[in-house]
Amino acid sequence: MNAPLPKRASVVIIGGGVQGLSCAFNLAELGQRNILVLDVGYWQGGASGRNGTLIRPGFASVAWTELFKLTVAEWGTWSKRLGENIMFTQRGYSVVAEKEKSAAMLEEGLRVQRSLGVNSRMLTRAEINDLLPAINKSRVHAVQHQPDGGVAPHHAVMKGLLAFCKRNGVDVRYRTKVTGLERTGDRISAVMVGDHRIDADCVLACAGPNNPDIAALAGVELNGFGMRIEAMALEPTRPLIKPAIALIDSLAYFHQTSRGEIMGGTEVPERPRMSLKADVPVMASMAKIYLEMFPQLGEVRILRHWAGQLHASSDFAPLMGEHPELQDFWFSAGWSYGFAGAPAAGKLLAQAIKTGQIDHRLKPFALNRFETTGPIIEAGIVMA
Amino acid sequence: MTQAPDITIRWNGRDIPARDGESVAAALWRAGITTIARSRKLHRRLGYSGAYLTGVLARVDGRPNVRLDLTPARAGLEVEMQNTWPSPRFDLLKLAQLLPAKAVYGGFEHGAMMPASGLGYRVAERIMANLAGVARPADADLNPQEIPGRGAEVDCLVVGGGPAGIAEANARVQGGQSAALVTRGNELARFARSMGVAVPALDPRVQLFAGTELFGCYRGGAIMVGAPHDHRAGAVAFWPKSAVLATGRRSMPPLVKGNQLPGVLDAHAALELVDTHGVLPGARIAVIGTGAETALAARLKALGANVVYTGKAAHLKEIRGRKRVIGILAEQNIACDALVHAGPWRTDPSLAFQVSAEGHYQVLAEPLPQTVTLAGIAAEGSEPIPAAKHLHHDTLICPCMDVTAGELYCHVDAGETDPEVLKRLTSCGMGTCQGFPCWESMLAVLAARVDGLPDEFARPTHRPPRRAITVAQAAGLVAIVEPDT
Repeated sequence: MNAPLPKRASVVIIGGGVQGLSCAFNLAELGQRNILVLDVGYWQGGASGRNGTLIRPGFASVAWTELFKLTVAEWGTWSKRLGENIMFTQRGYSVVAEKEKSAAMLEEGLRVQRSLGVNSRMLTRAEINDLLPAINKSRVHAVQHQPDGGVAPHHAVMKGLLAFCKRNGVDVRYRTKVTGLERTGDRISAVMVGDHRIDADCVLACAGPNNPDIAALAGVELNGFGMRIEAMALEPTRPLIKPAIALIDSLAYFHQTSRGEIMGGTEVPERPRMSLKADVPVMASMAKIYLEMFPQLGEVRILRHWAGQLHASSDFAPLMGEHPELQDFWFSAGWSYGFAGAPAAGKLLAQAIKTGQIDHRLKPFALNRFETTGPIIEAGIVMA
Repeated sequence: MTQAPDITIRWNGRDIPARDGESVAAALWRAGITTIARSRKLHRRLGYSGAYLTGVLARVDGRPNVRLDLTPARAGLEVEMQNTWPSPRFDLLKLAQLLPAKAVYGGFEHGAMMPASGLGYRVAERIMANLAGVARPADADLNPQEIPGRGAEVDCLVVGGGPAGIAEANARVQGGQSAALVTRGNELARFARSMGVAVPALDPRVQLFAGTELFGCYRGGAIMVGAPHDHRAGAVAFWPKSAVLATGRRSMPPLVKGNQLPGVLDAHAALELVDTHGVLPGARIAVIGTGAETALAARLKALGANVVYTGKAAHLKEIRGRKRVIGILAEQNIACDALVHAGPWRTDPSLAFQVSAEGHYQVLAEPLPQTVTLAGIAAEGSEPIPAAKHLHHDTLICPCMDVTAGELYCHVDAGETDPEVLKRLTSCGMGTCQGFPCWESMLAVLAARVDGLPDEFARPTHRPPRRAITVAQAAGLVAIVEPDT
């Protein structure tokens, strides 16, 4: 484990979360050798081990839906390709509207999803009773259901990715902090860990909340801001809620894990801060939402509550591609749906780095879109 | 003390005599029922132990996962064992006991035993979710409502109702401050009194919150939140100017094979049974400890117990039994039906950790802020846990998740020594205890295995509220605590 760091690598990936390891895995599959992954924290210590693990193909915009349709297809292949059961389960994803206006938005999104071949439909009252028997129907205005959506527990996913990387010669180092980036002319050329220099042909930053700091190490800027999100888990019970659920009006999302915990989060308006401490208002608000939407949860005890950090772009869409001002410096950043999106991001970025081909599904998320094509308008995300 | 049972409660559909108001756990013990719960994977027998909450969780009047040691007996109370199928009295899940411990290493929710995809996975997932869920959801007709919480501003908040907490709270009000005291127990200083220690009376000016667990320190200790165990009562958010953590210490379960067997009790639980409820833990009791065993044994004898052995915790090699303890191996074989441990003693680190751990990785490096102090025996620090380098592989480390020493060794021997990673690979400490005592045990096992010291390893993060509050109670805090804007 404590072997000395190499002196050079073809690709240095900064960040050993699900984004970084997905890119490493896809690059290795394409035959890339000498991949080095560096992570300042511990395995699953960042957002990859703190997120809601929800996965769905359908959003309201073409760009998001195309990307996430690909990601769902990729998720379906991972257990086989990684050689480990990552426990991806397509138990369905229900987006619940509590207000008429949001119901209309879901109908609108449905048209986009269908035009792109995503399996999605609005549920009838009878279907709601059947699929969500425990939900408080008086609060439900409409439900958009995506049968191909679901969840994958992050511990199983991260275990599969790390095991694949280790088997295939990818050098993954945790608790190893990148302290500098060197450039030669207009391209990036080396990564510094303390006073140890690693010459690199290509550097890919997948560092979550640290992405802007990583960009700054190379003297370039990155759009976006740090954001803190909280989630909590209830004490396990036998199955009560089958699909994954997003409440677009209450800004909440949750599902019941395969070990029985109901796990999810919501947002409250508060001052931004980079902290991993949980606070009372999210716990209270989330509890109120559970009590109102699934009254049977009222007597259940709250097991644990935590916070995670992410780097959100100003339109909440990912920032993927090469930095416009520095050659061979790539990013998979700005993610708020990063766990779900990691398989697609890994595939498309690996392809771009290895072959130079930028897939049409990657192009809309370019780093310089705010100056060129403009921000991506997406109404179907549970973010504010 | 020998007050006769005056009511009946129902256990798995059977009438059990009990005394009105005593704990359900004590009533069951008196009736000879020592197996109250079953572990999640291997269906091991678990009972009232003091150390592991999971052994006293049962379904009470349609509510899942209720702590029987804190639930007063009432006539007609319906109590039912969880994690059984199809019923507690005819339980086919007992067959899981036939599995070797190795079969469930990282099993169940970790997917090792399941098909990788497709319909096969979905069916397997459904079965596993039923097994892993342990408890049926709450009855649909309970119709719980939001329980309004309350806020309290106070000069000093004292956590812990032992002699040190009482003395601290008294000193504060006598010095002109306002003080509140929160204690999990329903009465003050029960353990000290049972040990025969003189306890000062609580000054009536101290606001007392008994039967309430303080579980969370938020915003660096500016807000502290607790909730009563009674699910009908509201949670309390405190805004203390200063806080004193006088939470005492708890005896750690011995790291030997059989440590989860019904009949293994910590000093607090054993004394509560004997002194408060008049129930003997067994007919032949062994007492071990790190110094306190002699005094505890003398006290148990004075209360009428038959103590057959007193010895050092470090000398214990094995606890024997199938349904409950039938003997121990220490310096020699001892036939006994209960083992009471009084040490090694450790302080629950959760509240102090929540106050001080900060930064991207919440590594506990910061000292406590000046407004938060430790007092009493909690301030004396923790004792080391004796762990052998080669424990019996079936030694249970985390009964909620059935994590054994053998499972930890699989990962440690493969080079994985990061406690955060071990936690994620095994789920150790992610159940009802949320890390205390199970991470204490895990760190001791890890350190012994790699010839290190437990303090060399970063602790996994302690997170609130560790099941001390229900969803309905937490919902009642929306109007009490404003977001930090």
